Amino acid sequence: MSIFTEKVGMTRRQFLKGTGMLAVVAIVSGVFAKIGFDAFAASDEYIAQRAAGLYTLDEQMTIRKSHENPEIIQIYEEFLSPGEQKYLSEKAHHLLHTKYGKDIPSFIDELKQHQDVA
Amino acid sequence: MSTLLSDGVIHVSDKCKACDHCTSICPTHAIKGRLGEKHHIEVRKCINCGQCLINCPFGAIDDVSMVDERIIKALKDPSKFVVVQEAPAVRVALGEEFGQAPGTNVKHKMYAALRRLGFDKVYDTEFTADLTITEEGTELICRVFNDLGVPGYEAFGPLPQFTSCCPAWVKYAEDKYPQVLPHISTAKSPQQMFGAVSKTYLAEKLGIDPASIYSVSVMPCTAKKYECDRPEFIASGFKDVDAVMTTRELAQMIKAAGIDFMSLEDEQADRFIGASTGAATIFGATGGVMEAALRTAYEVLSGETLDKVDFKAVRGFKPVREATVEIPVKALGGKVLPVNICIVTGTKYVDDVIEDVLAGRSQYHFIEVMNCPGGCVNGGGQPIRRDTY
Repeated sequence: MSIFTEKVGMTRRQFLKGTGMLAVVAIVSGVFAKIGFDAFAASDEYIAQRAAGLYTLDEQMTIRKSHENPEIIQIYEEFLSPGEQKYLSEKAHHLLHTKYGKDIPSFIDELKQHQDVA
Repeated sequence: MSTLLSDGVIHVSDKCKACDHCTSICPTHAIKGRLGEKHHIEVRKCINCGQCLINCPFGAIDDVSMVDERIIKALKDPSKFVVVQEAPAVRVALGEEFGQAPGTNVKHKMYAALRRLGFDKVYDTEFTADLTITEEGTELICRVFNDLGVPGYEAFGPLPQFTSCCPAWVKYAEDKYPQVLPHISTAKSPQQMFGAVSKTYLAEKLGIDPASIYSVSVMPCTAKKYECDRPEFIASGFKDVDAVMTTRELAQMIKAAGIDFMSLEDEQADRFIGASTGAATIFGATGGVMEAALRTAYEVLSGETLDKVDFKAVRGFKPVREATVEIPVKALGGKVLPVNICIVTGTKYVDDVIEDVLAGRSQYHFIEVMNCPGGCVNGGGQPIRRDTY
C-alpha cells in the first residue's frame, strides 16, 4: 500500500493552507448557522406578539365570558330555544352540530330529508 | 365545488428549489420529491394547514384563491346580500401588511375596510366562537355526567372530548385515527356555525331571503377553505359558508382597492351576530378555546360567579401542556370535580395523546388540538414574515 505511506508528512506551507481553509469553512458555517438560528428565534417572536395582542384585547373587553355575550343570550332566547337559555336545544343541535368520517354520507341524507319536511 | 376538495388547497409552484425545508415542516409527510427534484403534495395526506406555504424560503407554495371567482363576483352581483365574518387571529396580524407591529389590534379599521370593499353587513366570527363555547362546553359537561353515571346523559359520547374548531386537525383524525372520532366534539367550528346562523337566524332578523345571502369569511387559515366546501355543511338549507379568504388575501383586496387602511376611522360590527367577548378573542391563540370553555363551564357547573377569569396555566407555547382545574359541581351537592385538561399545538405532537386515549390510559377530560404551532395566530393564511429569512 505504498500510495498511503509515501507522503505522510506535510510542509509548513501545506499545513497552514489546510488549517486556513478549515478556519474559513468554520467561520462561514458559523455565520450561516447564526442566520438560521436568528430566523428561528425571530419566527417565535412574532407569533408570541400576535398572541399577546389577543390577550391584551381580552383584558380590554368589558365582557369576558361567552355565555354573557348579550347577542348569545338573544339568539337562544329568540331563535335557538325560544323563551329560554337552553344550550344543545333541538334547533341548536340541527344547525350547530355535525358528524365526522364515515357518518357523513348518511348525515347529508338526514339534512336533505329535514329540508324536504321543512 | 367538489374540485377544491379533490385537488386540495395547497400547491407547489414551479418556483420550488427542492430545498426540502417544507418536508421537515409538514406534519403529515404529505410533501413528496427528492432533494433537488420539484416537490409535489399528496392530496390524500395533506390536511391543508399551509404551514409549508408560510415557511417556504422561496415563496414557491400557493393556496387556492376564491377571491376572483367567488368573492368579487358576489360583491358585484346586486342580487346578493354579502355578509362577512373575521376570525380573532386576523385582527392582530392584518396590520402587519400595513406597517404595524405584530399583535397590533386593527379590528375596528378592519370592519371599516370591509364596508369600503362593498360587504353589505360586517359581523364577527367571535360571536360564533362564543356560540361554540356554549354548545361545546355544555356537551363536555354532559359527557362528564355520562362518565360519572348520572342518569339522563347516556346519549353523549365518551371522554375525553377533543375540540373541533381546527379543520386541519379534524381531517387528520378522519384520515389517520377514525377510532378517535367519537371523542371529537360534535359542535361545528365557529366559521361553520356562522354560516348556518347567517342564512337562518340573521335572514329572519333582517327580513331577507336566505337564498340571496352570500356568506364570506376571513380566516388566518388555508384549511378553512377546504372546510367551507365540505358537502355536509348545508344545515341552513344552503351552502352554509360560500367562500373563504385568508388574512393575506384581505390585505391584497384592501391594497388593490386603494384604501388607505391606517387612516380609516374606527367602526363597529353590525348587530345580531357581531358582538364579541374576551373569551372569543383568545380563540386565536393556543389554549384559548380551553380557557374560554373553562370560564363558562366553571360558572355553569358551580353556579358561582368567576371573579378571576384568567386561567394562566393553559397559556404558553409548549407543544403539549396539561393542567387540572378543580370545579365544585352544584348538581352533585358541591362535590369538587378535578377536571384534567390537555392542550396540543402542532399535529406532530398529537399522536401520543391519541394513542393513550385509544388504549384507555388517558386521564384527561378535555383536549384542545390546534394544528399550527402557537395556534391560529400562526395559521397558514397569515401574513408571511419574509424578514425572518
